[in-house]
Amino acid sequence: MGRKVAFIAALFGALALVGPAQARVEVQWWHAMSGVLGDRLNELVEKFNKSQDKYTVVAVAKGNYDEVTNGVIAAYRAKRPPEMVQIAERGYMTMLLSGAIVPVQDLVEQKGYKIDFSDFIKPVASFWSYKGRMSAMPFNSSTPIFWYNKDHFQKAGFDKPAETWQELEKQLYAIKSKGISECGTVLPGDFYWSLLENYSAINNQPYGTLANGFDGLGTEFVYNKTKVVSQVARLKKWLDDGVMQIAGQGFSPEQLFTSGRCSTFVNSTASHGNIERNATINWSATFLPHESDIDPPLNSTIGGGAIWVMKGHTPERYEAVAAFLDFVAQPETQVWWHGATGYVPATNRAYALARERGYYKDHPTREIAVLQLSRGTPNENSRGFRFGNFVQTMLAQRQEVEAVFAGQKQPQQAMDDAVKRGNEILRQFEKLNAGKTPETERP
Amino acid sequence: MTLRLSIPWRDARAPVLQPRHGGGVPSAAAGSSRRSGKTQRREEAGLKRANFGDGPGLPTLLLLPQLLILLFFFFIPSLRALMQSVLLSDPFGTSVQFVWFDNFRTLLASSDYRQSIAMTFWFTVAQNVLTLGSALVLAFATDRIVRGRSVYRTMILLPYAIAPAIAGILWAFLFNPAVGPLAQVLHRLGIVWDPNLNPTDALILVTLAASWKHICYDYIFLVVGLLAVPVSLMEAAAVDGAGLIRRFVSIALPMLGPTIFFLTVMNFIYGFFETFAIIDAVTKGGPAGATNILVYKVFVDGFVNLDLGSSAAQSVLLMSFALICTLLQFRYFDRKVNYGV
Repeated sequence: MGRKVAFIAALFGALALVGPAQARVEVQWWHAMSGVLGDRLNELVEKFNKSQDKYTVVAVAKGNYDEVTNGVIAAYRAKRPPEMVQIAERGYMTMLLSGAIVPVQDLVEQKGYKIDFSDFIKPVASFWSYKGRMSAMPFNSSTPIFWYNKDHFQKAGFDKPAETWQELEKQLYAIKSKGISECGTVLPGDFYWSLLENYSAINNQPYGTLANGFDGLGTEFVYNKTKVVSQVARLKKWLDDGVMQIAGQGFSPEQLFTSGRCSTFVNSTASHGNIERNATINWSATFLPHESDIDPPLNSTIGGGAIWVMKGHTPERYEAVAAFLDFVAQPETQVWWHGATGYVPATNRAYALARERGYYKDHPTREIAVLQLSRGTPNENSRGFRFGNFVQTMLAQRQEVEAVFAGQKQPQQAMDDAVKRGNEILRQFEKLNAGKTPETERP
Repeated sequence: MTLRLSIPWRDARAPVLQPRHGGGVPSAAAGSSRRSGKTQRREEAGLKRANFGDGPGLPTLLLLPQLLILLFFFFIPSLRALMQSVLLSDPFGTSVQFVWFDNFRTLLASSDYRQSIAMTFWFTVAQNVLTLGSALVLAFATDRIVRGRSVYRTMILLPYAIAPAIAGILWAFLFNPAVGPLAQVLHRLGIVWDPNLNPTDALILVTLAASWKHICYDYIFLVVGLLAVPVSLMEAAAVDGAGLIRRFVSIALPMLGPTIFFLTVMNFIYGFFETFAIIDAVTKGGPAGATNILVYKVFVDGFVNLDLGSSAAQSVLLMSFALICTLLQFRYFDRKVNYGV
């Protein structure tokens, strides 16, 4: 009898010890990071989980951005959404007007955390906020930069790539004609982002009306009346002359660059991790080129993703979410993430910290994105792009550009058609979301 | 001898059930009629119908899993698709508008969709001809191969074991204009080849990949079909002086009629619905929408563009197309097929 009591007492004692560990609140975070970036993200989550004993964040890789979006839509409709989800910048309007999210600034403030939202670097803050309040937590912000093969440029007698498209064109043709490499550049897989949208921002060209969609749902595309048309014509010419190649399915543009086959390529600053690991060439990077008659060039805009908080969870879980978001916003976390991946630091303090530590002395190319994003004074044309059904309009545009590449359409015709198709898609979004203001439900 | 297809444990219980058979008619003939009724029915059942005893209980039970699967994976989704096709809704389903047939109207008005229809038609027909043609040749050749026949057959059947997406990547790589070995061969032959740029090249590439993946399916059926052709007939024809090709065209081919008909239907269904993974891996519907077959467009519009209404309307149309095609095939081609072998 005495033994039994002792045993039960011991059991309870043991349970009491195990208790706190079991009481950790678990929240899910669905994300779209794979490869090196996925490993880094897991490290980040691990760091958070180890930093305290109340909450556990479980990071779940759900495929690419489209697959994550689909996954969360299906889960939301089945009333079992994850607490947090990483969504690409193109999904901003869809998420904002979905009625399925909790704005992060509301959540964080309500849970008593002091994140200085005014400290986020400008293009990042303005993109992810609505009416001055942050809708989603900026997480992986990137911008396209210009990567080049140093040896190829030196062999052709140049120090580095020129700053303007006109000069750069001469260089690429020289490299090709001297037989230094097979192709001067390779078409980026997301050329619509880097070579059309960011091109418009940097060269101060309007892309759509109403400040590229920032001022309302009635926005319309106008890029068929800007330099974008001649940009498409330029790409077509390069393609015809063999100065530019298309990597094609099953093969990435990055591989053509890192293997030394093509001399330059335009890609997100986030490819630092991969390129550092895979490249066998002597590479470097610089700012994206601009048109010769544009002075000064403006800032580029961000891409990448942010963490959205989904509706419909218990207060304890939102405690955990707020704690995690606070952790993500810490300068230390940001600096670490910036260094580990190549994404830009989201806050000014994090950027200053990285500078202070002399990080950019050893890694000069890592600073390009930040400098390019904060160059000049952002105006209506360079603040960013905020269109409904953005993925759909982008695919229509992409198809039209491909028709130019295939020789089926003239650039002007193709851009006119792309704008026409895009505007129809925008009208559908407007019709669906007429009179809607994003929900600001308190968690 | 009659083949009995009854189920043993059901039979064992038969005597217990028998009294119910006679009902309340205790006539002199009752005994004999009862017996003969049972056996007679079994004889009627003959070769084709299995005898599951009395009542609908067991057959229903056996059909139930299949019916449930159909219900959950076909009927309910089809109904949802029908409903969704007349709605305009945001992906999260928080705001929904009823728009009548707007989705269909927009769809049929878009040149994009019409291009996709035409493209799908050519793709499916070309794939069908290519697959069936090569499978026929390969199947007929099987008979002529004496040494290493099993190796030959295995080699042909192997692609069936490869996942479509992987097969697609393989083809995309082999014919990649920058690095693909086969593309280099084409270039050396002076053929300008670039499926990333040229819509025709892209279409040829996906057609080849899709056919290659499906040849083995047709091949299996055709080999079996050819085995059913009586050797005596072939020998008789040979004795009469008919050559190889003559024997194939005049004897083997007509006897393969039912098989070929069946395979044509299956190939159409394959081309319509199952080539999705190959398109995704080889071209992603590009360039310029040149390989955007209907089923791939449904996927892109629904799951990438999140345009659920249009995607649902497309799947409803696709389903009707497939239905009409199959009906036409059965109505017109079926008559020309001779089953009385």
